[in-house]
Amino acid sequence: MTVQHDPEAVRDDGLSSTDTVGMQQGEMAGGRRQPRSNRVATFLSRYALILVWALLATVYCVLMPDTFMSTSTLQAIFGSQSALVLLALAALSTFVAGEFDLSFASIMGLSATIVPVLTTLHGVPIGASCLVAMVTAMLCGLLNAFFVVVLEVPSLVVTLGSASLFVGIAQMIASSTIASVSEPGFSDLVLHRVLGLPLSFYYGALACVLFAYVITHTPLGRHIVFVGANRDVARLAGVRVSAIRAGSYVAGSTLAGLAGVVLVASVGGFDPAGSAVYLLPSLAAVFLGTAVVLPGQFNPIGTFVGIYFLATGIIGLQLLGYSGWVQDVFYGGGLVLAVSVAAVIRRRVAVA
Amino acid sequence: MTSSHPRLELAGVSKTFGPNRVLSGVDLVVGPGEIRGLAGQNGSGKSTLIKILTGIHAPDPGSRIAVDGSPLHLPVRWGAAQRAGIGVVHQDLGLLDNLTVAENICVGGYPVSRWGRIDRRARDRLAESTLDRIGVHVSPRAMVAELTAAERAEVAIARAMRDHAPGRGLTILDESTRSLRGADLERIHAMLRRIVDGGSSAIIISHSLRELTTIADSVTVLRDGHVTGDLSRSAADVSEATIAQAMLGDSLTAFHRPRSASQDHPDRAPRVLVRGLTGGPVRDVSFEIGRGEILGITGAPGSGHDEMAGLLAGDVRPAAGQMVVDDRTIDLPRAAITSILRAGVMLVPERRDRDGLAMEMSIRDNVTLPQLAGRHRLFLNRPWQSREAGRVIRKHDVRPSRPHALVRELSGGNQQKVLLAKWLEMRPRFLILHEPTQAVDVGARREILTNIAAAAQEGTSILVVSSEADDLTAICDRVLIHGVDGLTPADAANPTQLIDQVFAPTTRTLP
Repeated sequence: MTVQHDPEAVRDDGLSSTDTVGMQQGEMAGGRRQPRSNRVATFLSRYALILVWALLATVYCVLMPDTFMSTSTLQAIFGSQSALVLLALAALSTFVAGEFDLSFASIMGLSATIVPVLTTLHGVPIGASCLVAMVTAMLCGLLNAFFVVVLEVPSLVVTLGSASLFVGIAQMIASSTIASVSEPGFSDLVLHRVLGLPLSFYYGALACVLFAYVITHTPLGRHIVFVGANRDVARLAGVRVSAIRAGSYVAGSTLAGLAGVVLVASVGGFDPAGSAVYLLPSLAAVFLGTAVVLPGQFNPIGTFVGIYFLATGIIGLQLLGYSGWVQDVFYGGGLVLAVSVAAVIRRRVAVA
Repeated sequence: MTSSHPRLELAGVSKTFGPNRVLSGVDLVVGPGEIRGLAGQNGSGKSTLIKILTGIHAPDPGSRIAVDGSPLHLPVRWGAAQRAGIGVVHQDLGLLDNLTVAENICVGGYPVSRWGRIDRRARDRLAESTLDRIGVHVSPRAMVAELTAAERAEVAIARAMRDHAPGRGLTILDESTRSLRGADLERIHAMLRRIVDGGSSAIIISHSLRELTTIADSVTVLRDGHVTGDLSRSAADVSEATIAQAMLGDSLTAFHRPRSASQDHPDRAPRVLVRGLTGGPVRDVSFEIGRGEILGITGAPGSGHDEMAGLLAGDVRPAAGQMVVDDRTIDLPRAAITSILRAGVMLVPERRDRDGLAMEMSIRDNVTLPQLAGRHRLFLNRPWQSREAGRVIRKHDVRPSRPHALVRELSGGNQQKVLLAKWLEMRPRFLILHEPTQAVDVGARREILTNIAAAAQEGTSILVVSSEADDLTAICDRVLIHGVDGLTPADAANPTQLIDQVFAPTTRTLP
């Protein structure tokens, strides 16, 4: 995953690096060149994941016509993943800027611990505890940014360490009890059903759309993409690279904090020791997402599809009677597979 | 700001990294409407100079940079330099393929509507007017991936000069034209000429001397951090030969190889045979080297002689070719580096920082690395390692002489001595040296050449792949020039003659 920092491998690193590499390879091999992918192949590479998703759903429907083809299954798939969607967007906001963060799941855990502890154990109004949780999450991002951007310590080391640090702090705050909130108004904000799905689903979808809007329609978003593709080029074009890199960590941690708040609202309480469980699914979804819509690029719509693709797979397997280990196998396998697919696509896009 | 000021003026720009002085008092002046070429070998300081100008490196105190007569605050803050009118075209052009022309041109200055949204129409208009100004006809809505090589270069140049006021500004092309050939290159040159005719200025950095002589009004040549040539077309001294002379020639440091009587008559059967080597720009090349013979291979920049070292040592896989070393025959396209090493073929690569040495490790660890494989498999004999390192350091006169010193802390010359020692201590049968004296000081160069000559004396066959005419004439028994027609023997008697032959029309490759 550290390919992000390798200028050769950066997904849409301008033309002539790929051009000259292609040329050299062509010359080396006596003029052999990769054939250009045609439109069908482009279409397939854009929507392959959605096809696989449809195929998976069809297989489940055939295998379990009664249990899988039901409204409750549909609700289980689409109603349960909102915190994960926000969390995946947190991961995405560092990836699009060419940065790398492993601590976002722990930041979510910290935020999800702060809310019930403040409200239930210390009697702080729920709105205020949510605010405190979000500000804390933001500070976590600032801390990461300070070490990675200002001190130039490798992000893998910093965020691996800070991930453990944040979980530790959460456990200290929780003092080994799992507090839970029971504020009907609060959970209603997230769980109230509209058209059969909880509000939180719409929040996740809205967040993805907003994210996509910022990335494609604002100068900030376009600059982030340039920074992610080639820092040097962005700098020479007058983009404030350090500010954008630091901002990507803060934006990511704030989104992770929001995911924590949503999680508490829908589940009631949270055991910070369970934070790590959320890391892999979000990473898997983000990388799977690079195979959708804009092949080879991190994008929020792809991430959204990735999340629900993974959820469909797991819920189907659970209905088939596999449980527990299946989640780990599916997410872990999915991540490796997704990264490999993304790498292959990136290489093909780069050569074509 | 009157127009009598030069567009860009660098005075006494120096830069020191630790013990290495990479730029010494560089002066460079670019007038309005002038295209100034910047030439020099790798490691001559060109890229450091550009990095100072774009604010990546801080120059040493005493340096001065002014744009249109007003001094830039040092170290350069890129934003300020940009506002003063400096634009840089990235080496790889720096375009994102999956974005439109307008998106690529306007990065760093997107026009926005209310709500902070990119105003697409204004953006496309800005891109269009920028392209119009330089006389380029590309649709701002086209995807960059669909453009031709020349159009891409045009778009990249348009971005660099987007914010220039008409008739002002300076555009730096940092080897940005290297992927262009023939008509495409002429088209870009014509465009540059149009731009500067309006009063704007440009600096063009290129390895192609032909390109510099074609497009530049004047050329500044750097060698080892010093300006060794300030050539101008008005004085009629911009030619490939004069640039090359300033880049390569340095007869002050002449070196004479000590020879024993027997070596003047290398009548032994060849020890190294290379047959039909083909890969990249190298086509069907064959040569042989005798025991204790030093063969030099050189060529004009871009002729492909540079590729030969990597192809022979297994760093780059050739398409075809066979190498015989003593009784071993190596099928190069299929040979692994380990089997090439076992045959006694060793490479001292050009880029010592990247391919030659582990900069963050000690002299001791670097020097003994190749020998570890032949030692006891389970335990590393530390006392042996230290003894061995101490011996090598004394033998090759590496300074500082502490085995524990990190290679990063050494000067370029001493790093090169460590690199050479690392492989000489393996007693190679066939040693390939790629630019062995690049960016080393005069004293170190002499010692390095002495050590190479000594290795030949002991029977090692040596190939020197180099552009340094002085080195080649000083230590080589024979010199071959690589060109479009393959290898041609050169007269290795004196450097000036050799440079003339390298740049003679018959051996020149088309850019």
